[in-house]
This record gives sequence, C-alpha cells and structure tokens, in this order.
Amino acid sequence: MARLIRDGELVFVGVNSPLPLVAATLARRLHAPNSTLLSIGGGFNPTPARLGPATSSAKLSAGSASVFDNVDFYGLVARRGVDLTFLGLGQLDERGRVNSSFIGERHRPEVRFPGGGGAATILPLARRVVLWRAAHSPRIFVKRVPFVTSAGNIDRVVTPLCVFRLDAGRLVLDGLHPGVSREELAENTGFAIANLPEAPVTQPPTQEELTELRRIDPDEVRRVEFSRRD
Amino acid sequence: MSNKQVSLEEAARLVQDGQVISIGGTLCQRVPAAFVRELARQGRRDLELVKSSPGYDIDLLAAARCVRRVRSGIVSLEQPFGMAPNFRRAVEEGRLEVIENACPTVMASLQAASFGVPFQPVAGLEGSDIPAASGFAKLADPFTGKEVYVVPAIQPDWAIIHASEADSRGNARIYGSPVWDRLMSRAAKRCIITAERILPTDHFASQPELTVIPELFVEAVVLAPGGAWPTSSHPDYDVDEAAMWDYLARLRAADGVFGYLEETKGRDRSGVRVAA
Repeated sequence: MARLIRDGELVFVGVNSPLPLVAATLARRLHAPNSTLLSIGGGFNPTPARLGPATSSAKLSAGSASVFDNVDFYGLVARRGVDLTFLGLGQLDERGRVNSSFIGERHRPEVRFPGGGGAATILPLARRVVLWRAAHSPRIFVKRVPFVTSAGNIDRVVTPLCVFRLDAGRLVLDGLHPGVSREELAENTGFAIANLPEAPVTQPPTQEELTELRRIDPDEVRRVEFSRRD
Repeated sequence: MSNKQVSLEEAARLVQDGQVISIGGTLCQRVPAAFVRELARQGRRDLELVKSSPGYDIDLLAAARCVRRVRSGIVSLEQPFGMAPNFRRAVEEGRLEVIENACPTVMASLQAASFGVPFQPVAGLEGSDIPAASGFAKLADPFTGKEVYVVPAIQPDWAIIHASEADSRGNARIYGSPVWDRLMSRAAKRCIITAERILPTDHFASQPELTVIPELFVEAVVLAPGGAWPTSSHPDYDVDEAAMWDYLARLRAADGVFGYLEETKGRDRSGVRVAA
C-alpha cells in the first residue's frame, strides 16, 4: 500500500484506517518524502510519538501546525484537492462497485455493514482511490453487489491475497502475493478473473521497507485489522 | 438567564421522546457519553440521531432501545473494537432504521439548516445508490445547467456536545479537532454542552478565537469531568480500552445495558450543580 503513494501527493487517511496510516507514514519516510499526509484526526503531516489503532484520534495529529476538521476536509474533497485516499469496503464486485451498507432487505438486512463513510463523494472526486480490506473471500469479492454505496476512481484494490486494478471497467489482477496460488485466489473470489493465468507476482517488501516499517510501527498497529471481527 | 449550569439529570430531561438530536464527537472520540447514558437511564424513546459518524453513542442508545432512526455515513467503534455490535443487532432485527448517507451528505443537511436554506448541493455521489435510497434529488444548476445532487435541510432539536472547557453561560472550547461539532452547534435549534471544566468567562474572553461554540446557541451547561469516558477527550484522556472491552462484554448479555447504566450512574452524576 505504501508503494502506491507517489511523491508530492496529498494523501488522506480516514477513520478506521490503521493500515493506510502505517502505509502513508512509511511512504513519507522512504520514496515519498514530499507527500502530505492529511489525517481525519484533524492535522497535516503529524508526528505523533506512537501510531495507534483508532485513526480518528486527535492524538495522532500531534505536531500538525493547524487543525483541519471534518467539514474542512469534505470541502477539500469537493473542490478536488485530494490526490489519493484509502477507503475500506464491505463487498466489492467485478465492476468495481463498493457495498459498505447492507446485504438483504433494507429495513431488516441480513448483514449490516458500518456504512461507506464519505466514500460516495470521495470515490468520484479524489484523483485516485486505493481500496483495501484485510480479508479475501467469495462473500466479499462478488459478481454483483446488492447495493452500491460508492463507485468511481479506483486505482488499486489491496487484499491479503492480491492486488486488483480496474481495467476497462472490470477488476483484473495486478499482482498475486508471493506464496498465494492462482487456484487459491480463484476459489476465494466470487467472479472470474480474466487475466489470472498471466498476471505477475507482487514484489515482496525489501529489507529497507521492513526495517523502516518496524521502526515506525513498534506496536504493530499494522496487524490490528487482521484480528478484528467485522 | 446567564447562568445555564444544570445537573446532568436536568439537562437530559430537556430532550423529549421522538426528538431529533445530533451528538458531538466521532466514533469513540469526545462523545458526550455520560449524557448519552443519562438519556438511556431516563428511558428516552423514539429518538432520531443525525450524525455522520456515530459510534459508542448509537451503540448504547440502540442497546437501550432509545433510538428508532439514524442518518449516518459510518457507524463504528474503530480499531481495535471494530463494528458497533448493538447497533448492528438493532438494525438486523428491524428495530432501528438507517437512512443511508455519506458523511458529507449529513454534513450538507446540517449546513443547509445552519444557513437557513431549504436544501444544499453536494459534490460527488455519481454511481451511488444512496441518493435514490434516501430520497435525495438532482437539480440543474440554474447558472450552468450542470446537474447536481441536493439534500434537504435537517434541523435537529438538540446538539449535545462534549467540550474541554465551558463557562456557565455556554461559551465552549474544544481542544483538538472539533470534528462536526461547530456545524452541529449552528444547525440545531439549541445546544447542550457537557464540559470537563467550568471556568470563568474571563478565560474565554482572553482568547475569544479559541471559543468554538458561543453562548448564543446554548441552552444548558453541565459540569461533567470525565464525561466522554470511555471515549476520549483530547488532551485530557484517551479512549479507555479496558472499559470499552468491558462495555462490549457486559452488553453481550440480554439486557446487560441496564446493569451497565446502573453501575455508571454514580460516576456520571458526580458533576456539581450550581444554582442559577
């Protein structure tokens, strides 16, 4: 996820986003020192003593020279001032439509998700959006979502098994993570992946990336999403 | 009356069954939690919550069956706790209606109320099912002809906000991000402030630019030290993770919320009442 951040970009890290927080912090230490991290906790380029799991915490904005509240942020999104945003998802379909709302009947749903946050306006308005989810199953990656919470400028989708990208309106495989077989990915995905046989394998993290990752995240905030019960 | 300071119980009695409320803070950050628990203790019913990002507040109100409808963009307790389980159960059982919004569409409805206009244009939303599901409209911009989504004004009866400091007239400072609270205070008919500390008006007059909420909008002020617990109140205290896990464990039992409300009563009502 850190590698997807380009130097000089304004990168927004929203609520409920431990992995993007760690990724953006890492990118600023490595290949993207001139990127700007805007935290939903209310600040720019914060320098907190420690990272933490609740990304809306005001503590994580320590070191910011200004306070930028939620109303300011959504104004900035609307005037197209955000280059890259990371957004979570409940379900994603093969045409890149996100459902973070519910499955089933609206007034008595089978499954209630948290909601899309600002995704319905951010996805069409940010220059690039990277979606992520710390789980990968056929119930999450589906042929067609029952409700479209948001749709728009998806650049990449990062999961524990692979990275997707949107190509001519369809999700295709951008990279298969090392150690994951193509059969395993196919079994855990609810739609057929057109370029499954020929897609490349994701480059594993370098020693430099791993060392810096451990330095900026000694409390392993990057792991918290993998144990959650959502 | 310039002294608006009342007890927590008195302030909570201002909110009537069936009213529309906005609650300050976000997820598990600076939620006026003591006030929310007092509303539940008093058995308030059929409330509608208007808030882009509820968390502990909606979860507790859903468990105690105080709320019938919520207009929200995201509901979560954030990490490490994850989704709000009592909210989720109430929705899945059909007891709580969600009017699906994006965070900025709730914001825009409150902005319209704060500006005194009937609706507010919102950028984005293309490709989303939210406008159709939640009754938003699309209009042609009268100046350019370009189409834009609009959302209706929503004026809550009350905005309930936890502040770092307030005076007894209702001037309030919030340290850290005010999140949505500045807007809520201007959009609602009236505000109720709970505050970590009550300080003299001179304190606020010495640096008026730090006052987020002016007394004009405020009906009642409550001294509530620790009033956001177990959520955070920056910079005084962070989220109490052990207390959040305890909350979640207690509410897994049927009607566990009522024991929880009884146990937290002494702590919540510890703020002193100053006679008007």
